[in-house]
Amino acid sequence: MQRAYLMELYELAQADRDVVSIIADNGTGFDGLFKDELPAQFLDFGISEQHMVAAAAGMACCGKKPFLYTAGAFFAYRAYEFIRDDLCLQNMNVTVVGNGAGLSISTLGPTHHTTEDISALRALPNLTLFCPASPLEVRKVMRAAYLINGPVYIRLGMGGEPELYNEDYDFVPGKAVQLAAGEDITLFVTGSIAGEALGAARTLEQAGISTRVVNVHTLKPFDSDGVLEAARDTKMVFTVEEHNILGGLGAAVAEVLAAAGCGKRLCRIGLEDVFAKDYGTLATVRQANGLDAAAIAKRIQKEINAIGRRVTP
Amino acid sequence: MTDADLRNVQKLRKDIFLTAYSYPQGASHLASSFSIVEILYTLYMKGIMRYRPQEPWWPLRDRLILSKGHAGLALYSALCMAGFFDETVLMQYCKPGSKLGSEPKMHDLPGVEATTGSLGHGLSFGCGVALAAKMDGLDAKTFVIIGDGESEEGTIWEAALSAVRHGLDNLTAILDQNRLQKMGTVKDIIGVDDWQDRWRSFGWHVMVANGHDVDALRRAFIAPSPPGMPKMVVANTVKGKGVSIMENNPDWHYKMPLKREMQRVLQDLEIDEMELAKCREPI
Repeated sequence: MQRAYLMELYELAQADRDVVSIIADNGTGFDGLFKDELPAQFLDFGISEQHMVAAAAGMACCGKKPFLYTAGAFFAYRAYEFIRDDLCLQNMNVTVVGNGAGLSISTLGPTHHTTEDISALRALPNLTLFCPASPLEVRKVMRAAYLINGPVYIRLGMGGEPELYNEDYDFVPGKAVQLAAGEDITLFVTGSIAGEALGAARTLEQAGISTRVVNVHTLKPFDSDGVLEAARDTKMVFTVEEHNILGGLGAAVAEVLAAAGCGKRLCRIGLEDVFAKDYGTLATVRQANGLDAAAIAKRIQKEINAIGRRVTP
Repeated sequence: MTDADLRNVQKLRKDIFLTAYSYPQGASHLASSFSIVEILYTLYMKGIMRYRPQEPWWPLRDRLILSKGHAGLALYSALCMAGFFDETVLMQYCKPGSKLGSEPKMHDLPGVEATTGSLGHGLSFGCGVALAAKMDGLDAKTFVIIGDGESEEGTIWEAALSAVRHGLDNLTAILDQNRLQKMGTVKDIIGVDDWQDRWRSFGWHVMVANGHDVDALRRAFIAPSPPGMPKMVVANTVKGKGVSIMENNPDWHYKMPLKREMQRVLQDLEIDEMELAKCREPI
């Protein structure tokens, strides 16, 4: 996803000299493109994320379009106040791109995980919050971010995520998109864990549970209508996220379902108010934390059995 | 300082007090506002900053960012004197529907360049503005007022490093060194009495001036810096300057005078009873 981010940014920067790529001693590995070809549109502020965000606001005030990039933990946690006061409160045209979404920085431990970021960022007025699931979706999200005149946060994975879409994918900001059809249950996802969710859905199909998988790539503004529609179409609702089940995607879905009184039971799958454990590849870390396809399918099956309700025809 | 200067700074102090007083329900950061009166006066009224009051967002303007946002009252008074809006606007302070709160909000008022209030943001913001000007080849200058208590915030030093690294010689920071913060003296709380050496060691071009002497400030502002060096004007000031019972007294960080203290305050600020009553009239 990092490559997709940087390539798209480079295209935007070539066409618009006000686009500025800003890092904090933590680049993508493809930054040579900017350093060599567009040095006037590249800045490295060093390990100073709070300063980076406030300075970007100052630049935006003068017509620049800064794109900030570093590990999401340092934006969403360390620089949260600056995102709030300098970007959101002043409605500045700055895009903040936090990599390492969820557990994707998988060898460094929880200080580098972003597992409470959705919860914190969702509550910021004026913010648009994207969580793309694949490299192509990153490109689409970047284009959308460029067109939005206001603060945007993109929760980015690292690399090696499988592509989930065809080239003709019609991305609409703010509209959740169905990745797999299904009639029995709906499984809402966000981010690259969508791949695991699709794997879980295939397993569940074999057990006779027809699973609709819906990708909520835009967490803010939230597609309440799309969520309700899917919930009403199916008998039970699940969410899965590389995030605490408090305050993230599951919570956002819960808010919508409860307010609508639609009466569908919801089960949130994610970190159960714990920090993630283990080190390794993203695949093994997901396994260790019950967030791989097999664990998701098992959990869904268990919840369905516990309710004692027959969801299969 | 000329007689006109003395009258004008007194007028600014009067306006600060009357604006605060017009909000009967609460206190204001009067003392912090009083310490930067001459600084703002010199910047706006003594030919240092280029701006157009009738065209407040003129793209080539110089900008003033009040990083120590709690001194908003001082900024409003100075902007009023500079012609950005008229005095009736001041009396809206903290009233329902008002654009004037204790801490300034960007663009809510002509001349307010940044929303500040949480300390430690404005110098970084100013770096961004100065950087953008350099990127676009503009002549515009950026001025940021910070406090000495505020200098305890880490981001001040992130900005200090960054400004030098990026050669922001179009950026001037002004330290309102009044040596007090909310709970006591800065020396007592963080162990620093004078910050100038620290700024020098970071690579800033440092000038030191009496922060209540308009001529000294003016000389400091117009003195050229070596190319590529941002400038820091350390202004030695008195918190609460202009009101004898407030001067150098940390108790006055955030309060209004009691009835028995009012006479002294009104005397020092040359405010008569009629002016006082007028600012409490419903708008």
